[in-house]
Amino acid sequence: MQRPVSSLSLSSCVKVKLVGAGFQFTADLRHLSPQQLSKGASLTQQEALEVLQAVTREGGSDKAAGAGGSSASMTALELLQKEEEELRSIVTFSSRLDAALGGGVPIGKTTEVCGAPGVGKTQLCLQLAVDVQVPPCFGGVGGQVVYIDTEGSFVLQRAVDIAAAAVRHCSLLVEDDEQRVAMETFSVDTVLSNMFLVRCHDYVELLAELHLLPDFLSAHPRVRLLVIDSVAAPFRRLFDELLQRTRLLNGLAQQLIAMANSHEIAVVTTNQMTTRVLGAQSQLIPALGENWGHAPTIRLILQWAGSQRLAAIFKSPCHVDSTVQYQITTEGFRDIDQSDQPQSKRPRMHNDQSAAGV
Amino acid sequence: MVVLREGMCPGLDADLVRDLRAADVKTVEDLVSSDTEDLAQKCSVSYRALFAIRRVLLAQHTAFPVSGADLYEELLSSTAILSTGNSSLDKLLDSGLYTGEITELSGGPGSGKSQVCFGVAVNISYHLKQSVIFIDTTGGLTARRLLQMLEAETSNREEQMEALQRIHIFRLFDVFSLLDCLYSLRTGMLQQASVGGGSVKAVIVDSVSAVIAPLLGGKQSEGMSLMTQVAGVLKTMAKDFNVAVLVTNHVTRSSSRVQPGLGVSWRHVPRTRILLERVEKAAAVSRSSMRSATLIKSSRQLCHKTEEFDLQRWCHSEGPSAKRKLEDMDS
Repeated sequence: MQRPVSSLSLSSCVKVKLVGAGFQFTADLRHLSPQQLSKGASLTQQEALEVLQAVTREGGSDKAAGAGGSSASMTALELLQKEEEELRSIVTFSSRLDAALGGGVPIGKTTEVCGAPGVGKTQLCLQLAVDVQVPPCFGGVGGQVVYIDTEGSFVLQRAVDIAAAAVRHCSLLVEDDEQRVAMETFSVDTVLSNMFLVRCHDYVELLAELHLLPDFLSAHPRVRLLVIDSVAAPFRRLFDELLQRTRLLNGLAQQLIAMANSHEIAVVTTNQMTTRVLGAQSQLIPALGENWGHAPTIRLILQWAGSQRLAAIFKSPCHVDSTVQYQITTEGFRDIDQSDQPQSKRPRMHNDQSAAGV
Repeated sequence: MVVLREGMCPGLDADLVRDLRAADVKTVEDLVSSDTEDLAQKCSVSYRALFAIRRVLLAQHTAFPVSGADLYEELLSSTAILSTGNSSLDKLLDSGLYTGEITELSGGPGSGKSQVCFGVAVNISYHLKQSVIFIDTTGGLTARRLLQMLEAETSNREEQMEALQRIHIFRLFDVFSLLDCLYSLRTGMLQQASVGGGSVKAVIVDSVSAVIAPLLGGKQSEGMSLMTQVAGVLKTMAKDFNVAVLVTNHVTRSSSRVQPGLGVSWRHVPRTRILLERVEKAAAVSRSSMRSATLIKSSRQLCHKTEEFDLQRWCHSEGPSAKRKLEDMDS
């Protein structure tokens, strides 16, 4: 079976013209010149040229795959080596959550943080935005961050607090010269200057920003984290047609993971919660619908349990489901103090964590 | 609709193609459906020559009947049943994934679709020593998880590495690169198969809905066309190369009833469909790793059969793990 022309990445009106002129398969186009094609299928020269380029590209990839070296293909072993060498995680400063996530928020994946208002989604985002800049000699990735704020919830004062705490924490850890040198450039000012803040007011702005982002990322190769706080806000209002919303969200999800993969960044999004009513019962579930649930690679749910805050891994292809406790302090997102914890709770939480440490 | 070209069949030379074109006969379809006698006059070519060309072209574009006995013979010699490595799923699938067919797993977020895919990939590469092509469209695949599953199987580092080498990964995030990949796989699959040793026995696409769903909905008809393209190439690939194709799909929920996504037209594509769901224990604080699988379409087994299995114990690991014990304690 040959490859049909309609499966090429061309505009649909060009495809209609091609098929109408009898060019059903790519093999029919392979030996034509642009002039012949533009005459035969009543296309402009420019369109004809694009068609032929698409066809030769397709033909080229045939050969590459034939030689066993198609660019996208790799064996799981190669991927494992790549994961071990290049792709690191961004620590959260909560050792329990890090342990549950196998070292922190992974680079090259998308992570969604869901939770009710006030439970700490934005705090976690701010914390990560600071943590991504921790120099490599302290176990960080020393990157920059693009922070897309759609809710207007980015509070600079909090970012300064968290950054100051992180800098203080690292300065206490200094042991060798390398770390001392790194500390010279790791200060609150540099932390703030490595944050690129984008304020988007509605979904059109958000989508436009994401379309332009790959260029920005190519220009700033040190960016290791993209935060979108939140995806839900712009998509939960101003939408009459839900189908359209689902389609846009699905496209957005693929865009994010493609970006995470090609630019080696971690993508962290936040999502609100909504209530699902099932007969007499109701249940809090993440917003944006069932379909969006597939979008993030990892889904974290932050929730209240009485006066405690819990973070649960709800979905992840490489971690077991587990729940950890955390707190929000002036310094940011932290583990709960040992002494603060009620004694009865203690053993179980401990077990949970050790079981989750994969 | 194939364009007439010189050399397509004996007797069809450049002059004739030009004459035919002048008579407004551009494609094979035009030639076959036009009146041969009339055309012979218009192009001043003998009726007999044109008739011969017509016959050859028809023969080239037709399908041949195959006798049932031959087909059965071929089926017996070429079809393999690949165990998924999970006895509950094997039971539902009538002992495993059949080559030459498309099997679909659908389920909500976190229902274990990807885990089942990993498990199948590991089982085929490690136990059956065959190559697997894994097309990841959601970024969910991590080699570390595959290694973890392999470690549960064997402690021999070399065997683990060998098994990993038999899993070929493609990471694609839009439908056109998926199509590019599938078409190039079809042309270059046999050569590629020999790379890691063992032939390619399974192609896993996790997930097929992630790339197609952004195109559906609204007033666009192109999405439908591309979906049928994907379905077509997967089907022919499964048949022509005798591989088992495993795809994953999301679910849609209409008034608490859960059904696989991608609509009615996709429903015909997979031969076997399985719906995965979490088993929610009432009032359980910690979430269990138990999943239920329901057969919703099959040509072999009675449908709506449900089996439960534990994601934690995918790979025949001995005894319940620490995590399991913990959960039993909790619930």
